[in-house]
Amino acid sequence: MLPLSWPEFQCIHPFAPLDQVEGYHQLLNRLGKWLCEITGMSQITFQPNSGAAGEYTGLYIIHKYHESKNEHQRKIVLIPSSAHGTNPASAAMAGLKVVVINCDDNGNIDFNDLKEKANQYKEELSCLMLTYPSTHGVFEEQVKDIIDYVHSLGAQVYMDGANMNAQVGLTSPGTIGVDVCHLNLHKTFAIPHGGGGPGSGPVCVAEHLVEFLPTHPLAAVGGQKGGTAVSASPWGSALIAEISYAYIAMLGAEGLAEATKYAIFNANYMAARLKKKFKILYTGKNGFVAHEMIIDCREFKKMADVSEIDIAKRLMDYGFHAPTVSFPVHGTLMVEPTESESKQELDRFIDAMFAIYEEIEEIASDKYPKNDNVLKNAPHTAAHVASDSWAHPYSRQKAAFPLSWIQENKFWPACGRTDDAFGDRNLVCSCSPIDEYRKSL
Amino acid sequence: MSQEKFLYRHIGPSDSEVPAMLETIGVESVDDLIAKTLPENILLKRVLRLPKSQTEHEYLKHIWEIAQKNLVYKSYIGLGYYNTITPSVILRNIFENPSWYTSYTPYQAEISQGRLEALLNFQTVVMELTGMPIANASLLDEATAAAEAMMMFYNSRTSAQAENRVLKFFVDKNSWPQTIDVLRTRALPFEIEVIVGDYKTYSLGNDFFGALVQYPGADGIIHDYSGFIQKAHEKEIQVAVAADILSLTILVPPGNIGVDAVLGSTQRFGIPMGYGGPHAAYFAVTEKYKRAIPGRIIGVTKDVHGLPALRLAIQTREQHIKRERATSNICTAQALLAIMAGMYAVYHGKTGLQHIALHIHRSASTLAHKIEALGYEVVSKNIFDTIEIRLPHEVTSDELQRIAEERMINLRYEAKNTVFISVDETTTIDDLNVLLDLFAVAIFKKYQPIESLEHSLSFDNMHLRDDDYFTQDIFKLYSCETEMMRYIKKLERRDISLTQSMISLGSCTMKLNAAT
Repeated sequence: MLPLSWPEFQCIHPFAPLDQVEGYHQLLNRLGKWLCEITGMSQITFQPNSGAAGEYTGLYIIHKYHESKNEHQRKIVLIPSSAHGTNPASAAMAGLKVVVINCDDNGNIDFNDLKEKANQYKEELSCLMLTYPSTHGVFEEQVKDIIDYVHSLGAQVYMDGANMNAQVGLTSPGTIGVDVCHLNLHKTFAIPHGGGGPGSGPVCVAEHLVEFLPTHPLAAVGGQKGGTAVSASPWGSALIAEISYAYIAMLGAEGLAEATKYAIFNANYMAARLKKKFKILYTGKNGFVAHEMIIDCREFKKMADVSEIDIAKRLMDYGFHAPTVSFPVHGTLMVEPTESESKQELDRFIDAMFAIYEEIEEIASDKYPKNDNVLKNAPHTAAHVASDSWAHPYSRQKAAFPLSWIQENKFWPACGRTDDAFGDRNLVCSCSPIDEYRKSL
Repeated sequence: MSQEKFLYRHIGPSDSEVPAMLETIGVESVDDLIAKTLPENILLKRVLRLPKSQTEHEYLKHIWEIAQKNLVYKSYIGLGYYNTITPSVILRNIFENPSWYTSYTPYQAEISQGRLEALLNFQTVVMELTGMPIANASLLDEATAAAEAMMMFYNSRTSAQAENRVLKFFVDKNSWPQTIDVLRTRALPFEIEVIVGDYKTYSLGNDFFGALVQYPGADGIIHDYSGFIQKAHEKEIQVAVAADILSLTILVPPGNIGVDAVLGSTQRFGIPMGYGGPHAAYFAVTEKYKRAIPGRIIGVTKDVHGLPALRLAIQTREQHIKRERATSNICTAQALLAIMAGMYAVYHGKTGLQHIALHIHRSASTLAHKIEALGYEVVSKNIFDTIEIRLPHEVTSDELQRIAEERMINLRYEAKNTVFISVDETTTIDDLNVLLDLFAVAIFKKYQPIESLEHSLSFDNMHLRDDDYFTQDIFKLYSCETEMMRYIKKLERRDISLTQSMISLGSCTMKLNAAT
């Protein structure tokens, strides 16, 4: 990341003559080759500036492919119910009609449902959009059969790269048999999230789709039958490609595979400990999760009127950002630790979750009322805890310092729980009226 | 594992921690776990063909060598990308600060108030400069922002337009070529016909639902679109303006002439060009499009104690809730770059930004007059920062390019006899004289060096912005570096990032973002 501040990377115009940017092209060409090797694909476009833009680009490439075979009518995309919301949204932007495929009780794609729907629309079928391992955190055993089936109907298979961190070096989209995939360089390949961007969503394609990669009016990129551009810049967010280049260069083949193994290892360590108190919704056939897991919180609603959101907010009092809330299953938390967290940090998080479990039990056993407890009132701000008036049935210490190690590195949430509905009814999206706003509250 | 290897730094569990963890999981080894987790029929079964891993130290040497192969020519190409100065206080405290760059999208509002405020500032900057009442917290780039405007208009067609399958979208020929290309891409699936023409002469019929014009145009000229917009609105054609955000500090904002959407790039606000990105695009609309606007919007609300608080507003438009019925597929946007651009405006304030814009304008017009004095034809009058030069028959653009590149200068060459120069924040009088020198050399003449910039403005007075903006305190309090540094720190401390604790977001992979 250091080189991002160097003028040789910063001060280069995207339409500068190519003979001045040999460095950038060496970097992009190598990174492109490496990413194709990692995904088992043939060629790449760096244009898309986010994962969702990558999805759109992938569908656009598939459309161009069908068009070249005079199959313009292929406009239906199959998307499992567990897919990220960007999948159907990107499909809609690409003018495709979404048909949702159900999941079975184990969280896998319901193959029979897929067969039925794929057959129903077989003439119009454009592609299947797949996430692997699934968003349910499981390596589905029948993935190859599903892909073979979709291919047998003349349709293509698109893979969402959100979960690539469980694949790199162990398997690949190409090995599994998909035709197009995007990568989230800002997830798997170490570009930071930046508080909600930048992202980078390059798209890799198999040999038969190379000629359909998008072009650009001001640079010689893309395939011979490729459509017009998908981004303003021919190489997307070229500056931050250096971060992924560094990541791969410094890990090498074995390091990348080790990183994937430890991502799965860390997740399974957490799952093994967390399952003592929490229900892990889905596991593979041997009882293991992939690189992430879904914690079912729905029983707490019945037990103590505690929701997954209450747990997410309470984690803030322990100094943690919540896991993914209510995706892909309502009433759950989805936890992905990654390979980069140490045992001590994983244990701290697990301890916090166990402590919260006890807090839920206290509510369930009526030690604290269902409407006034540490979970419902979370997160607790410093001003709230230090206030001269304290009318809650639990102590201030319990509110803000529920475990001993928190004292040493306390994070104070800046505000209490926000009222989303109020703000939506009275939309204010500039800082100008805050003072007036404050008065009006 | 050797401590020198990056892998050792990247992986969390240490060798001494692994055995206990294996025992907890109930497997023999990490490989045993992998064998029991991945289906056999998908295994790669070979080592990836990649170069041998480098240590961090080796890598920095390697990447430095690659960097030397990028030649930093002074760019006057323009077309939406300009040199800019990232204030060091922003570079060191935000761009290079993991507390800012490792945080996640601010769904969890209570531990994200810092960047939510920074993004609200960005929206305020956009609203103030465009003269529009609603702005989002960034889109991916200017071209896709233009496409989002087209799609928003398409989805907001009147019922009569939708019924009659009104499918034409007008684009003025002076829009960036990359913008026009992306519009065509996004138009395709909906059978939208993108018509490129001259806004001055093209007669819009009832078969159009929307239009896009660029301000100032790719020809450098500050066009007056008010008549065009009025005529379009008479036919219920919605109009978007792609505007240079920096120019709006001194030019009449599109919001004042009744447009429906304003969009563009904020790259010029201190974000390095970086060979194309990342930069934050901005997107602003009128009240009518409140529920139709794409992307993330930061809004003010109250917390449980009745105090003001910020959070993502009207998420019910968004893909994670609405799926295929969402107003866009935006998930990741350009938060970090939007935050930096917003801070650039906060730091400079109205006076500072106007000073930068005026310096650019005066540099461009002084240069234009001097090049004219050499015997070249300067085509564009009424400009902000870009001049169009027609070459005399004895000078070809190829020849001029050769002379320019000897001086490590890039200009925009179009056709055999046309050259464009876009000046920017970094352009000094010395730079202008180098430019002047190369134009003089090309026609074997001597030039009178520029000693100072012309003071008078060379665009029509009617384009000069005279309304008040940036009246909020935020644009007045942080002009000294000490205050700015503390303000950035104050916001930073409100947020949880990877510098605080693990962020275990499923399907988001919040792993180490190594400093090297």
